[in-house]
Amino acid sequence: MEGYIGKILRVNLTDGEFAVEDIDPDLIRQYVGGRGLGTKILYDEIDPAIDPLSPENKLIFLNGPLTGTGAPAGSRYMVITKAPLTNTIACSNCGGSFGPELKQAGYDGIIFEGCSEEPVSLWINNDEVEIRSAIDLWGKTTHETDDLIKAEIEDKFVARDTQIACIGPAGENMSKLACIISNKNRAAGRTGVGAVMGSKKLKAIVVRGTKGIRLADGKAFNTAIKSAMDKLNAGPVTSEALPAFGTPVLVNIVNECNILPTYNWQSSSYENAGKISGETMAETIVTRHKGCFACSIACAKCTEIEDPEFKGKGEGPEFENVILMGSSCGIDNLGAIAKASYLCNELGMDTISVGGTIATAMELFEKGYITEKDAGMKLNFGNAQALVAMTEKMGRGEGFGAVMADGGARLAEKFGHPELFMGVKKMEAPAYDPRGVQGMGLQYATSNRGACHVRGYTMANEILGVHEKVDPLITDGKAALVITFQNLTAIIDSAGLCLFVALCPGFLYEEVQGLLNGATGFNYTVDELVQAGDRIWNLERLFNQKAGFTKEDDTLPKRLLEVPAGPGNKVCELDKMLPEYYKLRGWDDGFPGKEKLAELGLE
Amino acid sequence: MDKVRIKIDHNKCTGCRHCETACSSNHYENMVNPALSRIRVYIDEEANQFFPVIAGPFTEAECTCKYDVIIDGKEYDECSVCRASCPRRTWFREPGTGVALKCDLCGDPADPHCVQICNHGALALVEI
Ligand code: SF4
Ligand code: SF4
Repeated sequence: MEGYIGKILRVNLTDGEFAVEDIDPDLIRQYVGGRGLGTKILYDEIDPAIDPLSPENKLIFLNGPLTGTGAPAGSRYMVITKAPLTNTIACSNCGGSFGPELKQAGYDGIIFEGCSEEPVSLWINNDEVEIRSAIDLWGKTTHETDDLIKAEIEDKFVARDTQIACIGPAGENMSKLACIISNKNRAAGRTGVGAVMGSKKLKAIVVRGTKGIRLADGKAFNTAIKSAMDKLNAGPVTSEALPAFGTPVLVNIVNECNILPTYNWQSSSYENAGKISGETMAETIVTRHKGCFACSIACAKCTEIEDPEFKGKGEGPEFENVILMGSSCGIDNLGAIAKASYLCNELGMDTISVGGTIATAMELFEKGYITEKDAGMKLNFGNAQALVAMTEKMGRGEGFGAVMADGGARLAEKFGHPELFMGVKKMEAPAYDPRGVQGMGLQYATSNRGACHVRGYTMANEILGVHEKVDPLITDGKAALVITFQNLTAIIDSAGLCLFVALCPGFLYEEVQGLLNGATGFNYTVDELVQAGDRIWNLERLFNQKAGFTKEDDTLPKRLLEVPAGPGNKVCELDKMLPEYYKLRGWDDGFPGKEKLAELGLE
Repeated sequence: MDKVRIKIDHNKCTGCRHCETACSSNHYENMVNPALSRIRVYIDEEANQFFPVIAGPFTEAECTCKYDVIIDGKEYDECSVCRASCPRRTWFREPGTGVALKCDLCGDPADPHCVQICNHGALALVEI
């Protein structure tokens, strides 16, 4: 098999057994890889109604066919499991070099089952697989874990080439906001996948691989790489904005469009946005540009804070968490925001959800629903010290931090005001106010893993005008736009590419097709890929249906549906878009019916 | 071939390792494997320094003379940025066989695939 390895490692953590299995090539073709294939495996192997933190849940790490092949931005491994935060299907993806290394070792992915009694780590060196005790690593931050593991490897040159995916204290404590970290600062961030790893007492996966990945047609693949890079280098977002400023380039743009969540979404523009913008970051704290494996964009920004109060260094913050920890908390101190982000990476938590949860807590505090006595500190808007202190407490599960560590939905519920949680299906929303960008509202409501921007980034057209500029305030045509982006994203994710490739004009199915066919020799047609994207989306939806979700869950926070705001001073008109969305999806009553399932081969 | 050389600007390197995939797939048909690349990128994640190193000649024994280099105030051992294919380290030797790998500028005339793929200006082919 080419592009793929065709092998998956299955590890049972309860009894310590493992085996290498072949992957059915027909299945790969139908589900492309990574996100799609992982969802298929999970759907077939677990009951979607189980408790995500029980031993019955499985944790799947899976590469796409383009991961590690040299396809531009082809760095991604995906983590597929049932999500603790949302109880939906989870697929969370991560860049860096871990996925490519796992493939070099001879595996497309790993399926973890059961649950170990003691903390363990999995060590892979090509064909050698070993489960080791990780008692000494338990309690350590992700950065300490990385360093300790590398120090344990005798040959320091081998250590340098070794790649690690691990959890921090938050994952060990099974915080529903816990993520999985690779290369110290790259995260499979959302939906709490780190908590599943923690529930299985799996601290780290350590990989070294030197076997090589075979390509079906190296020449055709190179041509496809050149074509893809030409596109990426011609697009202003992928060739200028992201390389120069990283994702925070969006701060000023989104603020000017009046869709920037501020004070927990009570306002949609922030007077001090300039202080936390990508441009300000580049001038003040960015020390270096960094790229994930084989990435021609290099959006990652290494940063350093000198202010003694928030001293530290790491990567980021990224746009979403600049806003959720910044304007949404009424905080304009870039040092504090960066410090809280560093802590999230070190303790192993999703920066977006942590920011969203703290913003919710701050509104609860301002309105008197949470007191200083409850929280152990003043949680007023604008309190930069509280942002940092609370992030640390959440990551370590200390004091009120332990209460907040399961996210804003559960927090707001506990204190009697669920309406102050700003998210969908218990996941905190990212940083675009859908009252001024309607398609994103439909996307949040229908995304298969709760409020999420990386399931269908209609911002690309509604605000950035990447492929075509459409009016962000109207609802007409948004259902079709959302579906187009959702299905395309399913393919980009499953292929192992970074979603940012779709931020350059014309990087659509044809580019992915060229790369996939060069690597795999599958001769995919565009139609086949379009259908595969649809199939993946529908299978995720089926998983959620079996997990107990109904169409009533496809909604938005009351504030966004009832309180007008933003450039059009309007609400998000979800009711105008949702019925059309279901109709265009071919769903009766919010879920795929017999006919749709037959069309996709899902019956 | 002796009229050109590759200039490495490590300050511009992003540590993306795209050069490693390009080099290996140019030397092995239908195959990508950084372990077979004649260019490797030493990534110091702590200091956020990235050093592309291009394979030089094979040496039968490791150096007897040890030295350290200081880059931006941080001390590195000589092996970090050394380009020799030597018995001491895994880089620039075929996994398994240990056969030495050496940059050949991708042929004569030089057609360096690493330079072509590097999108960040860290590698350039210059005439001498
Ligand atoms: S391709 Fe260029 S930027 Fe990327 S690692 Fe190689 S030298 Fe550095
Ligand atoms: S010039 Fe060719 S052989 Fe030399 S390091 Fe670059 S890609 Fe490899």
